[in-house]
Amino acid sequence: MEKSQEEVLWQTILGEIELSMSHATFATWFKPTELLSIQGQNLRVLVNNFFAKNQFEKKFDEQIKQILRKNGFSSPTIEYIIKGKRATKEETVSEKTSSSPTEPSTTKNPTGLNPKYRFDNFIVGACNDLAHAASQAAAARPGTKYNPIFIYGGPGLGKTHLIQAIGNEILATKPDWRVLYATAETFGNEFIDYVRFKKNRDFGKKYRDVDVLIIDDIQFIAGKKSTQEEFFNTFNTLHQADKQIVLTSDKPPAEIPGLADRLRGRFQMGMAIDVSLPDYETRSAILEAKAAALGAHLPTELIEFLADQIRTNIRELEGALNQILAYSEMRREEPTIELAQGLLGDIKNSRPKHITARQIIDKTASYFDLQISELCSPARDRYITEPRQMAMYLLRSEIKMSFPKIAHELGRKDHTTAIHSVEKIEREIKINARMREQISDLRERLYV
Amino acid sequence: MKVTLTQENLARALNTVSRVANSRTTLPILSNILIKTEDGLLVLAATNLEVAITEKIPAKIEREGATIAPAKLITEFITNLPKTNLTINASDNKITITAGNYKSVVNTITADEFPALPEPKNVGLIKIPATILKKAVAGTILVASSDTTRPILTGVYLHTTDGDLYMAATDGYRLAEKKVLSLTKEINTIIPASALSDVVRILSDETKEVIMSFSDDQVSFVIGDVTVTSRLIDGNFIDYRQLIPTKTDVVATLDRNEFIRITKISELFARESAGSITLKVDASSSTLSMHSITSELGENNSIVEATIKGSGAITLNSKFLLDALNQIDGENVKLQFSGKLAPALLTADGDDTYKHIIMPVKS
Repeated sequence: MEKSQEEVLWQTILGEIELSMSHATFATWFKPTELLSIQGQNLRVLVNNFFAKNQFEKKFDEQIKQILRKNGFSSPTIEYIIKGKRATKEETVSEKTSSSPTEPSTTKNPTGLNPKYRFDNFIVGACNDLAHAASQAAAARPGTKYNPIFIYGGPGLGKTHLIQAIGNEILATKPDWRVLYATAETFGNEFIDYVRFKKNRDFGKKYRDVDVLIIDDIQFIAGKKSTQEEFFNTFNTLHQADKQIVLTSDKPPAEIPGLADRLRGRFQMGMAIDVSLPDYETRSAILEAKAAALGAHLPTELIEFLADQIRTNIRELEGALNQILAYSEMRREEPTIELAQGLLGDIKNSRPKHITARQIIDKTASYFDLQISELCSPARDRYITEPRQMAMYLLRSEIKMSFPKIAHELGRKDHTTAIHSVEKIEREIKINARMREQISDLRERLYV
Repeated sequence: MKVTLTQENLARALNTVSRVANSRTTLPILSNILIKTEDGLLVLAATNLEVAITEKIPAKIEREGATIAPAKLITEFITNLPKTNLTINASDNKITITAGNYKSVVNTITADEFPALPEPKNVGLIKIPATILKKAVAGTILVASSDTTRPILTGVYLHTTDGDLYMAATDGYRLAEKKVLSLTKEINTIIPASALSDVVRILSDETKEVIMSFSDDQVSFVIGDVTVTSRLIDGNFIDYRQLIPTKTDVVATLDRNEFIRITKISELFARESAGSITLKVDASSSTLSMHSITSELGENNSIVEATIKGSGAITLNSKFLLDALNQIDGENVKLQFSGKLAPALLTADGDDTYKHIIMPVKS
């Protein structure tokens, strides 16, 4: 192989230097070096560590320059670079943006947005495709399409990811737009500081002088009269100016207790969409995407195992994945199902190992304030039949019970009733947000 | 160079810096100590090209200059001298040291060959009370790895999270984290455990605080007149916090001394099994029992009373367990674990600023 210009020059220099010093000195300092680049008169030399850098700068610099002058450099300058630093630094930055499982830090960034939340790393499934589509529409045409966008659902289901993605997407296409993300708690605290301690003089300006306002966990302002009043005014100012407003909550507007009616009305003006528990396929896809983002490879069985074990929310799913990856990195062991079982013992043990048919029926009945006898009775009132159908659906989806057994458990004679019910709910949850929510609530209750 | 100073000052400084002078390196000059005058003081320095230690001591300087002397010889010679004033007179190839009736002539070479000393950069200064640093270093370097094929694990990871500075280390089998102090600066770096161990050995009872300063590739510790400078370890530390259990099935709280006693006893019978001892925590009898067995010697079963939540068993290495118990402050120790494979967490009862995690032995 032909030698590069750098290699040839460096060998010339080393050859001459070797003659001027003891073998040990040469071996210690010069052997591990490399000439990285020549740019005009400027050379960049790779050295071992900062002791070497120091030594070269203070002791060898002039000697090397003298040789360079003999080799056609009139006024050489040399930059000494420590090995490994350049490459890993870039790595550190990119790792940080993708791997931190903690809440975004909002202290330094004036927009409050965490750049790691983007649409392209949001996994879409049946549980969130509507919310995802609406968010994308809002990001594409902010302030015009749906205003406000109100996304609701349980903890750890990706609400924050979605709404921050709206902000990041808008900033990517319209860098001069003022986008502000804050939690309702921050909004409330800053408001109190402003009123009580006369701090944050630009409070009103901060929230009203924006093109896009994104407020997370809006249910926090419920029950706080003056904070709600302030938010109401902020909302109106922005809405009238066609500024995009994005909100999240753990419940739909109609169900947030202690929320002023006029705010409730405002929140329902645009589009209120839920995100629900991801199904098995979505959970697997999330795990795969997350592992890929971390540069890890997980065996398919392990992904299937985790997706099957952890059903409550995405945060817990990612937590388990991070834990397994950290362990396997530390022990230098391949991640396996056995490893996951050992490590996640606490997650599994904290919930019933086997959900029984009885538990599903119990929980469904109590969720809908029904007696078990009512649920299993022949009654055909709608307020009983629907819960009954949902119980059948859960018996099928959660414990894979056979249709004849499902029918039997709920006091039906014919298993086609069970088939019909399960299919009906499967159809229904795709189009009916209320029912989707009830099912995911029920699931959560089963597993918590 | 010609200087006069007290034997005590010189002996102390030589003992401090000579610990990094190493005769086994490829570069023979590193087995020497650099002695030079600077700004009216005498500077002593040694380095192994990973760590450098310098100390400045008062001296009466008659003629400026610099020289190098073999670390082991000169340290032992000066240490054995009586407490008196002594004079060092160095020329190009000889150092003459006179102290009363004692006189030595040591052969030397020019000090020019001695590696350039790193200069502390006054950036990212952190002041840490000596007692706190000592405790944090002792608790973490204990579990740092000596496996040089995994360089990051041979260091102690310093990082700030939510306004607190933490030190952490792991060797793959156990892991320790100490919350050091609250800090607004952001730190994220790996310091070689050996450098930290040099630093704490230099700390005396009179040392009040240590000033750390960082730059991209080096860290300096200023301890009174002594400065220790070390390279940093390049790389990203393991996301170790994922492995600290947060919620466990079993929690046992018991007297630390009792815990140490039964562990020591159990260890006697655990030699054949490479130190494996099985801990059983039983909620119904409120006891923690330890079992170990050696086919030749016999077996041991010790029981101690404990406050228990949840029952379970785990097999741990007795040495690791003793190491952990010795680092934990407090009268009572809290042991937490879930299942046979998940890591066990040890903390002082009511104080989790020091967390010690041990991976169970697979049994």
